[in-house]
This record gives sequence, C-alpha cells and structure tokens, in this order.
Amino acid sequence: MKAWLRFLPSIIGKAIISEAIKKYDIEFNILRAHITPRGGKMLAEISGPEERESIKFMEEQGIEVNPIIKVVKKDKDKCIDCGACISLCPVKAITMEKDWTVEIDDQICIGCGFCTKSCPTKSIILFE
Amino acid sequence: MKTINEINQKIKDGDAVVVTASEMTEIVAESGPKEAAREVDVVTTGTFGAMCSSGAFLNFGHSDPPIKMARTYLNGVELYSGLAAVDAYIGAAQPNKDPELGLDYGGAHVIEDLIKGKEIELVAEAYGTDCYPLKHVETLITLDKLNQAIMVNPRNCYQNYAVAVNSTDETLYTYMGTLLPNYGNVTYSSAGELSPLINDPYFQTIGFGTRVFLCGTEGYIVGEGTQHSTDVERKHGVPTTSAGTLMLKGDMKKMKPEFLKAATMPKYGPTLYVGVGIPIPILNEDIAASTGISDEDITCKVVDYGVPRRERPVVKETNYKELKSGKIEINGMEVPTSPLSSLKKAIIIAEELKRLIEKGEFLLTSPIYRLPSKGYTLRPLEIRKPSILVRELESKPVIVTHPDENIKDVARKLVENNINHIPVVDEKGVLQGIVTSWDIADAVAKGKTSLRDVMTRKVIIAREDEPVEVVARRIDKYDISGLPIVDSNNKVKGIITAEDISRLVGKKMDRGGESI
Ligand code: SF4
Ligand code: SF4
Repeated sequence: MKAWLRFLPSIIGKAIISEAIKKYDIEFNILRAHITPRGGKMLAEISGPEERESIKFMEEQGIEVNPIIKVVKKDKDKCIDCGACISLCPVKAITMEKDWTVEIDDQICIGCGFCTKSCPTKSIILFE
Repeated sequence: MKTINEINQKIKDGDAVVVTASEMTEIVAESGPKEAAREVDVVTTGTFGAMCSSGAFLNFGHSDPPIKMARTYLNGVELYSGLAAVDAYIGAAQPNKDPELGLDYGGAHVIEDLIKGKEIELVAEAYGTDCYPLKHVETLITLDKLNQAIMVNPRNCYQNYAVAVNSTDETLYTYMGTLLPNYGNVTYSSAGELSPLINDPYFQTIGFGTRVFLCGTEGYIVGEGTQHSTDVERKHGVPTTSAGTLMLKGDMKKMKPEFLKAATMPKYGPTLYVGVGIPIPILNEDIAASTGISDEDITCKVVDYGVPRRERPVVKETNYKELKSGKIEINGMEVPTSPLSSLKKAIIIAEELKRLIEKGEFLLTSPIYRLPSKGYTLRPLEIRKPSILVRELESKPVIVTHPDENIKDVARKLVENNINHIPVVDEKGVLQGIVTSWDIADAVAKGKTSLRDVMTRKVIIAREDEPVEVVARRIDKYDISGLPIVDSNNKVKGIITAEDISRLVGKKMDRGGESI
C-alpha cells in the first residue's frame, strides 16, 4: 500500500522504520520525502505479508500513517489522449494502450505532479 | 484510370470501397499498388493536433445605436478588429488580457466555448464616427446569435514536422510541449501514416475546393497555407521535415465539440487541437502507392530545441514506427516519446469520414486547382540590423578567482574592482563556478573560509557565439544579474551583466513582464 507517514520532531532520531523492516520483513520504498527540523512527511510504498502488522507497529511508535488510495486521476472526458504526459513521467506510470488510449496507473504513480503541470488540457488532478 | 465523378457515382450507389490510410497500408503491402488501385476507391486520413494557426471570422451584427468596433474582447481575449464595423478575427493562440488567466484561457478556449454553446461576454470599444456614434458596448453572445462564425485556419495540417528534444541542462517549455533536460524525452506531432498530406505528398488530388472533414462538419481547402513549402528533402516521396500546409475554412456553427479542443502548452501559450480528415480518391496506381505509405517509411528529423536559433541542429533521423513504439534511441540511451497529437482521435476521424462516405453523406470534390507541389521554398526574415553576438561585446578584462583562493582575498578583489560577480576557474581558465558579493558576505558571516563551499557550481553561462537577445532572455528567465561568457572549451572570456544588456538594448529590462 501507499501511505503518507508523518513524523513528529521528537521521533525523527529513532530508527523506527528499520526496526519495522527487520521485524516484519516488509519492503519499504520511499517515493517522496520532506524532512525538516520541525518534523517531516514521507510518501512510501509498504508491501509484504505482514504489511498490516508493520503499520500498526509504526503507529504505536508515534508515526502517523495515512494510506492513500489514489495519487492521480485522469478526467476521461477532458483528456484527448494526446500523450504529451507519457514521456514526462519519471516512473513510467503513464502508458499508451493498443488503441492509443492514454492510461495512468496510480499504483505506480509517485505523485510527482509533473504530468499535471504539463497536460495541455489540464486533465490530470493530483491528490495530495 | 478512375475519375472523381465515377467515384462519386459509386458513393451514391452505395458501392464505393472506402478504407482508412492504415488499412490501405496493409492492402498495398499485401496486394501491391496495382491491385489496391483496382480494389479501393477512397482512402480516408485523419489528424488531431495542436494547430496554433487557427481562428475564426465572427460577425456580431449591428447594435443600436451602431458602433464601429476598434477593440473587441470575448471573455477577455482580444480579437483583431481592423476589418469593418462589426467583424473581428479571433486567433487561437491569443492569450487573455487578464494576466491571472493569461495563457490558461485564450482564443482557442473562446472558440471551444462558443462551439459548446456557452454564453460569452463581448466588450467592444470604439472611437466614434458620425455613422457609428457608440463608443462602448458590453453584452453577452452565443454562437447561434452571431450572423457568421467562419473558421479560417491560415496554416493547418503540416506535412510532416520536426521531432523535438532538448540537449540543455534545463527543462524547456515549448510549442512542442515540455522538453526534459539532457535528451530526457522526445515529442513529435504528426500522425504519420494517417496524416492527410503525407498520403498525397505531391498533392495529386488535393487542392483549392477539396471538401474535407473539419471539426465534425464539412470544411474546404481554400488554398495552400502560410509557410507552404515544397522543395525540401524527400524520402519515399515524403518530405523528411515540415513542408506543405493547408488553409482551411468551415462553418463553426456546425462543428462538434468532440472534434476540437482548446489547450495550453505549459508556459508557451494557448493553442487549438483541430480535427481534420481528408479523403483521397484513388484515381490511379500512383496514388494508391502513396496512400500505402507505412510509418516505417516516413522519415523525420530529431531536432534540438535547446538551441534557440532558426536553424536548430539535427540530432538524428528517425521514423514514425520507432516514434510510435514509445521510445527511440539517442546517443545510446533509450528515450521515451510523446505524440502530442492524438493518434486515437486521428483514427476516430479517419473512421468517421469513412463511415460518412460509405453512407453517401460525404461526396468528393474535384479541386479547382491543385496545391503547388514545386517552387515553394521558405524565405527567412532577414533582420536589417543583425543581432550582436556576445563575442562582439566590449568586455572589460575579466577578474577571476580559483577554488582555493582565500575568501578575504576574493572579497578584496570584488571591492577593489567594484564588481559583484567573480567566476571561479581552474588553472587552465576553465569555468568551475561563480560567486557573488552576496555569497562572500554570507560566507564571512557564517565563518566559512573555503571558496569551494561557497561557490555556485551550476553556472548559467553565455556562449560567445550566441546573440545578445538570447542571453537577455536567460538573464530574465533565471532572474540573475550577471553571467560569465565562455568559449567552446568552457574557458572564461568575460562577464556580461544585466546592466550591460539593458544599455545595449537601449531600455531597462522589464523583469517579470511579458516575455511572449
Ligand atoms: S497530456 Fe493530458 S490530454 Fe494529453 S494524454 Fe495526458 S492527460 Fe490526456
Ligand atoms: S504524478 Fe508524476 S509519477 Fe504520477 S503519473 Fe504523473 S508524472 Fe507519473
């Protein structure tokens, strides 16, 4: 699952994530991170059989975990399937189907926002 | 072999064989052009691309008392009103006069909203005459209230086009979309084998009076478009670069919103996606062969938009099969491609035109004259007062420093020479970084002593062979006050400041002002 993790400044120094990885053998992939002295937030993809347990553990340790369902959404009525967005996506979340329809896979998307800014018809909305 | 009249008769009888350009490619590959010419009567093409050079003549009707409109705005977008009292031309690429909306809502968006049936605010100003006393009018209009709304696109349907990449370190925002630095992506805009003028590369059937499918209704070719050119390099008969163009005309009142779309190329401006389909009558084997062209046989040039000059360097040649595969190779790297024009819509248009012809609702026309297929080359605009190159600037002897120099000494150099920027170079004079007086003050305040920790390594530079205007735009874009001039080996030759440029350009630069 993809989630925003929020850290309070008090726990920034603790190695909670690495402990969670060790304990629950999860895969932890950081997609975006903003860490400041006043705390921070991180968009991460967490997967593994003990995914739920690991999240519970992180929450107990003081990390706020907000799962996200969708990162981007394409407005199918506005999109003209031009494909201008495709080559801009850093993680290849946008593809051209066989019939030349442009599809965005929000499971791959990391929410960088590049496609939203570059779509000539403003057809992509980014959820923060 | 066949005539257009004979084909029209077949269409009326419901006997015509109509195929799309993609289907024709397969037919010709399988049975050869001779057999294909016998079998097929009409090939339909299609394209749905950003065509900035689009617009419409609108006639608003007379007010009481009457007005001779001198400045006309629709939803804040200015039209060209130097026609007569109540006529104006709206250009798709015109930005909004409201800077907040600016590029986000321009002429193209007004055209789309009109076709969608929306109410549009009309504001017109006039100087007042004896016959047209009114000086100001403000009202709401809709498309059906206008007397005429005639779309006239001076330059549409480019026959092939350049493919864009960007060799620089910065993201570029162009009419070819967003171009990532260091050849990070590729954009192209032709529909390849479906594209109208590529299927009839010598305009054997296309000309003045050809009936076409334009934005969901019938339109006409009213001649060659602006920048039409014919004497270009060709492969398999097809130009390898932008060549022929069309001037098109159609009745906006009959257009359908799904076949046109307003857009804004980020940080470039408004543009209109226009859907065009052209039927090509298969009169003989020759024409069958040209409509049988495949994406693989349409060559095009990958051009570096990082060089803002008229002649942009060609990086390599490619073809539409490669481009449509989603990636091409540049300098040994796989680079993702973006079509910009909608291939999906291009197919829908070719299919729709095919359906209309099969149903007998769209007959072909014989052009009054064919588009010129030779003798047209593009003349550049010569500037009488040629651009001054950076090299020609009188540059004071440049003061430089070295990465190991003591910060105090650098500070002294800045003060003694009354300068604000100092390039950092290695022992050969090659640029390593730059420091400003502010960087030095900051360093002193924080107790730093090594120049290496202070200097900016990613330096924005001016090259000796660049026109000064290009450098002026860069100073503006990055909001910097000075940049080092370097030669082709990155050796520092001088420094150019915003003041030097404004002195040269003769007026103070308008920071953050309009740049388009
Ligand atoms: S750039 Fe926008 S309009 Fe074009 S395919 Fe992507 S989402 Fe659709
Ligand atoms: S937001 Fe970024 S990662 Fe997500 S689809 Fe757009 S470009 Fe790709």
